Amino acid sequence: MAKAYRLIFDENLCIGCQACNVACRLENDVPEGVYRLQVHVTTQGVFPHLGMHFERRSCVMCDEPPCVSVCPTGASFQSKDGLVHIHESQCITCKYCILACPYHARFINPLKNVVEKCTFCFDSRLSKALDPACVSVCTTEALRFGDVSQENSAVAMLSRKETLLFPKAHLGTKPKVCFIPARKGVKV
Amino acid sequence: MQGSLRALEPSILKGEDKWVRSVCEICSSRCAIEVRVVDQKPVWLQGNAFDTRMHSSICARGLSGVSQLYDQDRLRTPLMRVGQRGENRWREASWDEALAFVASSMQRLKQNYGAQSMLFSSKTGESFDLLSSFAANYGSPNTFSHWSSCPIAIESALEQTFGERAYRDFEHADYIVNFGHNLFEGLDIPLSKAMARFAANPSKKLIVLDPRFSIMAGKADEWYPIKAGQDLAFVLSLLHVWLRDAKYDHAFVRRYCIGLDALKASLKETTPQWQERYTGIDAKTIERLADEIYRAAPRCILDWGHKATTSPAEFQRTRAILIANVLMGNVEKKGGIYFAKTPEMLNALIQEPLFPLLQSPYPTPEVGIARIDGAGEEGSAYRFVPKKHGVLNAIADAILTQQPYAIKGWFLTRHNPLVTVADPQKMRTAMASLDLIVVNDIYMSDTAMMADVVLPEATYLERDESIHLHHGLVPSYTMRNRALTPLHRTRSLHEIVRSLADALGFSHAYSWKTMQELRAYQAKGNSALLESLVKRGYVQATIPHLFLREEASVRAFCERYAHVELRHVLEMFERRRKTPSGKIELFCAHIEKAFEGYGVPCAVDMDVQQNYPYTLISGKSAIHTNGHTQNVPYLHALMPDNPLWMHPSTAKAHGLRQNDTCYIENEIGKEKVKVFLTEGIRPDTLFLYMGFGRQTPLLPKIDRKGSSASKLLSLKTAPVCGAMITNTGVRIVRA
Amino acid sequence: MSPMWGSTAQYEVIHWSWAIAVYLFLAGISAGSIIVALLVKWNRHERSNSSIWDAMIKSGTLVAPVSILAGLFLLVADLGRPLSFYWLLIRFNPLSVMSLGVLFLLIYTPIVLVFTLLVFERTIVKYTWLLPLGSFIEWVKSLHSYAKTIEYFLMAAALCVGSYTGFLLSALYAIPLWNSPVLPIVFLTSSISSGIAVNILIGLVFFKSTINTESIKYLLVLDLRVIMTELPLLGIFFVGLFYGGGEVSSVAKAALSHGGLALVFWLGVIGIGLLLPLATVILALRSHVYRVRYILTNATAVLLGVLLLRYYIIYAGQIYLG
Repeated sequence: MAKAYRLIFDENLCIGCQACNVACRLENDVPEGVYRLQVHVTTQGVFPHLGMHFERRSCVMCDEPPCVSVCPTGASFQSKDGLVHIHESQCITCKYCILACPYHARFINPLKNVVEKCTFCFDSRLSKALDPACVSVCTTEALRFGDVSQENSAVAMLSRKETLLFPKAHLGTKPKVCFIPARKGVKV
Repeated sequence: MQGSLRALEPSILKGEDKWVRSVCEICSSRCAIEVRVVDQKPVWLQGNAFDTRMHSSICARGLSGVSQLYDQDRLRTPLMRVGQRGENRWREASWDEALAFVASSMQRLKQNYGAQSMLFSSKTGESFDLLSSFAANYGSPNTFSHWSSCPIAIESALEQTFGERAYRDFEHADYIVNFGHNLFEGLDIPLSKAMARFAANPSKKLIVLDPRFSIMAGKADEWYPIKAGQDLAFVLSLLHVWLRDAKYDHAFVRRYCIGLDALKASLKETTPQWQERYTGIDAKTIERLADEIYRAAPRCILDWGHKATTSPAEFQRTRAILIANVLMGNVEKKGGIYFAKTPEMLNALIQEPLFPLLQSPYPTPEVGIARIDGAGEEGSAYRFVPKKHGVLNAIADAILTQQPYAIKGWFLTRHNPLVTVADPQKMRTAMASLDLIVVNDIYMSDTAMMADVVLPEATYLERDESIHLHHGLVPSYTMRNRALTPLHRTRSLHEIVRSLADALGFSHAYSWKTMQELRAYQAKGNSALLESLVKRGYVQATIPHLFLREEASVRAFCERYAHVELRHVLEMFERRRKTPSGKIELFCAHIEKAFEGYGVPCAVDMDVQQNYPYTLISGKSAIHTNGHTQNVPYLHALMPDNPLWMHPSTAKAHGLRQNDTCYIENEIGKEKVKVFLTEGIRPDTLFLYMGFGRQTPLLPKIDRKGSSASKLLSLKTAPVCGAMITNTGVRIVRA
Repeated sequence: MSPMWGSTAQYEVIHWSWAIAVYLFLAGISAGSIIVALLVKWNRHERSNSSIWDAMIKSGTLVAPVSILAGLFLLVADLGRPLSFYWLLIRFNPLSVMSLGVLFLLIYTPIVLVFTLLVFERTIVKYTWLLPLGSFIEWVKSLHSYAKTIEYFLMAAALCVGSYTGFLLSALYAIPLWNSPVLPIVFLTSSISSGIAVNILIGLVFFKSTINTESIKYLLVLDLRVIMTELPLLGIFFVGLFYGGGEVSSVAKAALSHGGLALVFWLGVIGIGLLLPLATVILALRSHVYRVRYILTNATAVLLGVLLLRYYIIYAGQIYLG
């Protein structure tokens, strides 16, 4: 049966420590200077009425991925589990998908000269029933990953309990990565 | 990346693939880790789930252990100075030559000036215990840990108040007041995780006092941008309100404490109105918080922090915070503070040797000579500073004046005082006048630049070490197991010290030669313990958590161990404390005698700005460990420098814009900074992350990148505890 | 929070650079010039045999293949892995405008080449070194009865090529400045405008035949019409963005008011590309002075304007992301 993966990022727990960022580099051998994953931390408001915003910058694994529909060679494709991947050999690096991604999740691997992005660590971890590297190392367990169609999975339970926000939901991309927004601090 | 999994992909199939459980050392939190090793190469790191608090969590720095291991810039072979001291001219040497030189030089100094002319310093931990033992057997009392530049005020205050260390039960607290304890940037995974869970829980409340909008402040229910160094005023007024309204745990104070009257007398004037001008927090807020906090007691913690170097009143500040906890009656309560349940105590209580006892492999005989800083000596300004740890700020003057006796040499192991201690300018001058400087480190450092001999150390992934006992609710044991044999020509401090002890003729002091012998000696031959530590890296027996004043907890413990009598459990708390009065001391008579005005919390020595327009503060980031990791490739890429946090209104007043360069200066020094504009700081305060502004030409990536706050810090120390003070007044000068 | 998550340079890369802007320009010129040539052929050529109209047809049939081939070269050269371009030919994704574009180009380019051969038949047979083409032309001529059909196909293909470049950009909802339904119309219109300009220019310079006041006047009026269509289209384009609300309108504002790119737009696209030709045309028509110089100036300015419009849209779209 096809999986319904979901990754939940709890902004309330995230402390912006970048463990996920480094874990991703180590696990996936991401070349120097480029990132599959970063967490951007921004301060909002006017002193002393402030809020802190934590934003996970990475592929959100759309159910309706614009990067796949624009790809002229089929190098960008969606697996039967709905994960978006790239066939390196078929990528001509036309960069159309990079421009099509509303999440700015794609970039060119400067060593291989092909387009690259987060894969949920599919080859090295997920296909072996391991959580993606970022989820596994998260210092404060702010990341939860699993199959939302399994009623008893952590993500399914969390999804029932919390109000989830899907990034740029209005675009209709239906991301598999979603977040629990911060409850504290000034919102702008 | 040489060490990453992908680079090795084809060999996985045929090669060896194993997990090694060990202890991290990229910072001093020393979290339990496991390392995946493929073909003798570490490729992945994560938290060791045998420590259930860790799960598989690990921080960015911990993960970068692999990046550090394979960093091409690491020291690879012993280096010996060729040119003038600090001139940066070196030649490579063999270990035999380097160690022979160190041994003969130390021998010569001992003959000419006495063993006390050698100083020894190290980061606190196993290397410090080892080095202290080495120093004592050599005959020098002058050992220095990093304590006086970090937690000494807390250690002192705990010692003077309780006679022992206390711990915080963040997990079960309902309300926490945080005085800049930056657990979300200075990470200790079990603690940080507990704090994150606390902060994210809507039914709990977190108050943060910090001049800067730190990550911690970002997670707070209420953030108060308190004026730097003024925590004491806040706590004094809080105590004032409680005592005024008789809101404290009367029974607890009466039974277990001494000095309430002195405390009351001291706090008469410290009203909420009084503190306004110091902290900038209005009186009404204090009244409300005092009420809220007291109602949350005893499941409430006033968190004294990890590093306490905010003002000269640091001892008073920390004591006031401890006393606030005491008045709430949260001692030995769930969600409050508690004392260590040691193996000896628990074994005696349950009448079985559930927790193995260890013996120290590091004999440290009493030397019988006074230290250069007078630490622990009756009549000295530092009489209350532990002899073992000393006062780092006293070193420079002692060398420059050669008082109280000749000081000619310094052995430093992974200690970089030219970055982490105040007034490095003066320290550099002092170091230049020494006859012998030996530095043992992973990387070239500012301090190593001044050395005669630089000994390349193996990183923690390449070292086996001894067993470490961690105190807390339940004792736990960890052991560092190496993931690979040392790369390059690096060695562990154990090997270095053991060779030097042989050469210096006190080989007999040690009952071990190899790490295996050391471990066996330490574990008293308990091979089961050793075996499980080799396999699991972390060992902890599961017994119920015991809060001695929490009825349910005590009952649960007695149910689990039916033969244990309730009375025996309760007696554990009733015992005489290791303070002069045998009680929890709200008033310390012997301190008052030596330091008038310091026996009981009162408003003294709170000014850190000293007529300068701004206060410079500094702190940790989650990316770097103090002055240690700046060159680690993964971490350097994330944070190559440390711009100065400045409020936009401050910048405007000086005509400065984002990324502009300017200087900050005071009577100690002048430092170039890059401006980072943020609403997240008081307009009268400036902030720098620690560890930058290095002077290490051999590490070109980090040489002279960013700015060093230490260069503006004074060598004056906080009374009683001898702590360095890291908040200081500065002015802004345009470039 | 001072940044400590590493370089953000990857978010600021201009992935489609000047090469793509020039490609869009060249593809537009190619389609525009052939459309104009065909229109002229169908409407004018029958009557006047040796005139500027004939020159414009010749120019169109020459410019179209040259510019599309040059454009295709740029397009492939701009790929990160140019040698793997063959994947474009062996894979087809009907959802991808780029894939559709490849299809259009695969149809369009050969037809343009055949059409060019037919138009220049007499010139080609004059040169002996072009003889190998002779037999091919003979074969094509055997299809002569289908010549008109070829022209219709060519017109359809040119329209597709002319508008796909707009859809290529407007299909991306990640880029607010591109994601407008008006953009393909703007691109098609300006393609035709550049087609007229280039045909006049090349026609006058290389195939100069009799040119009289009447035809100059006519060309100027033609210019005026195109400009008067393009100006309001650009207006509608931006007004549409302004009313897009949220980040779309802030992006439009930024793109029109910030830095060098705004200058490119106001000075290059509007000033040189539209207002300068407009002014000369109006001046010439008012004072009844019909000089070839005016036409040459206008055509050059129009071409420059169209190129700058592509450049502006490509860069501003990627820089101002909201």
